[in-house]
Amino acid sequence: MTRTRKIENACLTAITMAAAVLWIFPLYWALVTSLRSEDHVVSRNAGLLPDQFNLSAYIDAIFNTQLVTWYINSIVTALIITLLVIVSGMMCAYALSQMRFPGRRLLYVVVLASFMVPSQALVVTQFILMDQLDLIDSWAGIILPQLIVPVVIIVYKQFFDAVPGEMREAVVLDGGGDYTLLFRVYLPLNRGITTALAIITFIMAWNQFFWPFLVVNSEAMMTIPVGITQVNDAFGVRYARLMAVALLAAMPVALAYLIFQRRVTEAVMISSGVKG
Amino acid sequence: MSGIELANVSKSFDTTEVIRGVSLTVDKGELGVFVGPSGCGKSTLLRMIAGLEETTSGRISIGDRDVTRIEPAEREVAMVFQSYALYPHLSVFDNMAFSLRLARASKAQTRDMVQEAARILQLEEHLDKKPAQLSGGQRQRVAIGRAIVRQPKVFLFDEPLSNLDAELRVQMRLELARLHRRIGATMIYVTHDQVEAMTLADRIFVLRNGMVQQQGAPLELYNDPDNRFIGGFIGSPAMNFLDGHVTAQNDAGIEVAVDGADGQRLHARLASKRVTGDRVTLGLRPEHLHPNADGLRVRMEMVEALGGVSYLHTRTPDGTELVVEYRGAQPPADSTGIAVGIDPANVVVFDSQGRRLR
Ligand SMILES: Nc1ncnc2c1ncn2[C@@H]1O[C@H](COP(=O)(O)OP(=O)(O)OP(=O)(O)O)[C@@H](O)[C@H]1O
Ligand SMILES: [Mg+2]
Repeated sequence: MTRTRKIENACLTAITMAAAVLWIFPLYWALVTSLRSEDHVVSRNAGLLPDQFNLSAYIDAIFNTQLVTWYINSIVTALIITLLVIVSGMMCAYALSQMRFPGRRLLYVVVLASFMVPSQALVVTQFILMDQLDLIDSWAGIILPQLIVPVVIIVYKQFFDAVPGEMREAVVLDGGGDYTLLFRVYLPLNRGITTALAIITFIMAWNQFFWPFLVVNSEAMMTIPVGITQVNDAFGVRYARLMAVALLAAMPVALAYLIFQRRVTEAVMISSGVKG
Repeated sequence: MSGIELANVSKSFDTTEVIRGVSLTVDKGELGVFVGPSGCGKSTLLRMIAGLEETTSGRISIGDRDVTRIEPAEREVAMVFQSYALYPHLSVFDNMAFSLRLARASKAQTRDMVQEAARILQLEEHLDKKPAQLSGGQRQRVAIGRAIVRQPKVFLFDEPLSNLDAELRVQMRLELARLHRRIGATMIYVTHDQVEAMTLADRIFVLRNGMVQQQGAPLELYNDPDNRFIGGFIGSPAMNFLDGHVTAQNDAGIEVAVDGADGQRLHARLASKRVTGDRVTLGLRPEHLHPNADGLRVRMEMVEALGGVSYLHTRTPDGTELVVEYRGAQPPADSTGIAVGIDPANVVVFDSQGRRLR
């Protein structure tokens, strides 16, 4: 390695490190703050370094807010959304990719078009619809509008299209129908895609704020991101507890990311590849 | 009882007719080969028999049952694809067991049938592997095994060896011939390689433009082609063609002045009458031509010495290529002039439209 190259590398490393610190600091600060007592957080002696290991903020968060209820709401809705989005998406994509029926092209155009409509544009109609269906302030109300995820259909369709036609014909000759094809050949062949899409759908549903915020009125129906705002309002600013709630809210996603790191990256790349 | 019978079968994609009124029969236990140039409709015809393409008109019967409008899975046919189309996520065993499981065969029966197929195809040690871990030849055998376990009435092969290298292809060709003898099932085999066709077939069907040009046993087609296309297509190196016109004839045959050969003549045996001046094409097999001082004088261009046999690439005075097979340790040197002769009985005569004259 030449000297200039070494210097170049050192510079790049320094820049990357700086960026990493910039990214990590808020998280670090949240963690440090959440482990302090409320008094200490606002005292003058609180420095940049961790100096307390005090779980009272967490205990407070768990027992004196509806955090656990919000958790359950978030987990249930996000899981149901993920399951339904993946199952309906794959079946829709299979039909679009492999079955011949009148209106197939038109249907795909509709899927593509709905992909281009920003979800905010639909909020009013969706809200009115949920109201008419009497689903305001319910799990179903949170879930239903979030089931429209065209990108899942588009990604699945692309992968199904790429499966060689002879594979399909082999199954047909072996006596298999569409369900055999989808669940025993096309899905196992694209298992990685399913995992990736499921993770990204789950994360999106978990982080969803705007819609649940609109459709939910009672604290008992709130999901975590909506609930957090309540912690703030109801009791005035209590930083340690706020940070504890925020960390607890982010934890499932962070854990999912740690466990499925490679898949998440893949998923983001796949879906942004479709978007780009 | 017939294995497969096609009666006046046609197929159009939109407005283009790809198969035009094909009628043919492959007897039970026979191996029939569809051969022909690229795009002639071999695969389409095979896929119609399998039921993967709809038949526009005509009738397809398998074992005396009309299957024209029957679903592929109910036709009792198995197909081996060019790409093998193995299920990459399943082991060799599961690949072969796939159709049995769909048919809800019992566990024991499935195991027995897969084991038996694996034994025939020497795949026993590979049953737990995934297709990606196998060599090309082994994958090919798995694809065949998948067909065997279904015990179909008819096996269909679409260029199954074209993804293999030359050596393996020859080896698999022999294995296929052996397999056919062993299980004695009706088979149809598609290829554009006429050597494969010649070596495997009980009966060859030469297709061109969606029509059967000629059918028959391999040697029938070789020795007695119905038209110029068949003559040129079957045999390697290919039959030579020389154009000319009839200058004389008698009961034994005709005398033909070869175009652009300074008035040199060749004789051919022919029963039917011709008129002097008629245009004809003479078909000459390389192995029937031999050096002969009184014969046609040609220019040597190149010698392909393969050992026991050599091919002399020569040209007539007007530049028409003529390949001569030469048996002997020492072929004549390049670029010498040579004269070649042929027994009139071995000359095949075609009219100006390429139809055979006998
Ligand atoms: N799905 C299709 N739609 C339209 N035309 C088709 C279709 N399939 C095949 N053809 C046409 O039908 C003709 C015959 O095709 P086919 O695949 O049967 O040829 P082949 O004899 O198998 O050739 P090859 O030796 O190259 O495999 C070709 O001209 C092809 O373009
Ligand atoms: Mg073909």
